[in-house]
Amino acid sequence: MLEILGTFAGNALSLPGILGLGFGMMTRQLYLAGVIGGLVGILESLIFSGFHLAEIGTLELTLSVLVGIVAGMIGCMIRRKGATV
Amino acid sequence: MNNPQDNRNRYRRIWDWFWRPTTQFSVGFTLISGFLIGILFWGGFHWTIEASNTEDFCVSCHSMETNLGEYRQTVHYYNHSGVRAVCSDCHVPKEWQHKIKAKAIAVKDVFYELIGSIDTTEKYEARRIDMAKIVWKKMRANDSRECRNCHAFEYMDFTIQEPRASSEHQRGIDEGLTCIDCHQGVAHKLPSNWLEEYEKLKNPVSASNFGSLWMMALANKPAHESDVVGSLEK
Ligand code: HEC
Ligand code: HEC
Ligand code: HEC
Repeated sequence: MLEILGTFAGNALSLPGILGLGFGMMTRQLYLAGVIGGLVGILESLIFSGFHLAEIGTLELTLSVLVGIVAGMIGCMIRRKGATV
Repeated sequence: MNNPQDNRNRYRRIWDWFWRPTTQFSVGFTLISGFLIGILFWGGFHWTIEASNTEDFCVSCHSMETNLGEYRQTVHYYNHSGVRAVCSDCHVPKEWQHKIKAKAIAVKDVFYELIGSIDTTEKYEARRIDMAKIVWKKMRANDSRECRNCHAFEYMDFTIQEPRASSEHQRGIDEGLTCIDCHQGVAHKLPSNWLEEYEKLKNPVSASNFGSLWMMALANKPAHESDVVGSLEK
């Protein structure tokens, strides 16, 4: 449980959370924002494992993709709520 | 006057104000002010995290005095060169995402300090093996990453190490062992049942990812290894 919460916080303040939110704010398409966020999540896992696929934990990957998707969608909602274009 | 209805209206107004398009401020003004606030926020955040990495901060909790005392007897605190490793060097990762994760998990330590779950020597000793196991598990899974921030097999001059150290290190490299597999108790006292418990940890079934599964499979040669571990205990 702690492991999960910790990984969650680590991701929210790292690439998936921040870039995911940023990219999400660039589109009004909710699903697209989610997909981009998810991709950032995958990208982060790849980068931080030094591109060694074997070193990516399932939990880490799942959580970073999840955080990416959620951040992307929040970004998208910010765009919809806070911009007219 | 302060009824819930009023409050709700107040929040509603703030919410609406927040999302209203600006008419007084240009895009540039909004961006620059956001940027400045961002720098201040990030700087402050980073500073706080770093402040929580100092030795003073770690031992400001009463519960950590046992560890502090033990660590002060070791080479990582006091030695001929004066270079040392503080608590966070061994216990907090340097990489951003791992660091934030460690800090988030450490919030629970504050809670346990407040309720005093290890505030006496007896309570501490009763929990020590479980706490040590958490650290071992982490270090086995990440190939003793924090040790390797300062030490590395690649830069060790085996010719000037004691024969036993260099031959064991060569064996460690050959068999894919990591620092903590042989160097338990470098900074703290070990509980009496540590060796038995450490052997249990090596059970590969509990591995959570492929990397450590592989490592544990290699490391799972207890018969030969147990005469190395233990010898390091002072
Ligand atoms: C901040 C850097 C740093 C970190 C992190 C660190 N060490 Fe060290 N370590 C040192 C230094 C410096 C010395 C040598 C001190 C001296 O003798 O001058 C040392 C010495 C040692 C020694 C020799 C002990 C002796 O009695 O001569 C061992 C064994 C060791 N470290 C193991 C570890 C292990 C295992 C870890 C991870 C849990 C670790 N170190 C983490 C800096 C570090
Ligand atoms: C296979 C077991 C094993 C592994 C794995 C291992 N060590 Fe050692 N190490 C030893 C032994 C045995 C000694 C000698 C200790 C003694 O004689 O007190 C030693 C000694 C040392 C010393 C002191 C060297 C000297 O000349 O005094 C350092 C520093 C050290 N180890 C660091 C590390 C680090 C860092 C790692 C991980 C990268 C590591 N060791 C992995 C078994 C191991
Ligand atoms: C040289 C690296 C190193 C340093 C420095 C260090 N630790 Fe540790 N710590 C370890 C390792 C390794 C373990 C795992 C148990 C063991 O092998 O002794 C551990 C275990 C612990 C535990 C779990 C309970 C126990 O006693 O095993 C606590 C709590 C702890 N450390 C706190 C601290 C505090 C507080 C400091 C600073 C005063 C500190 N550590 C400095 C390496 C270090």
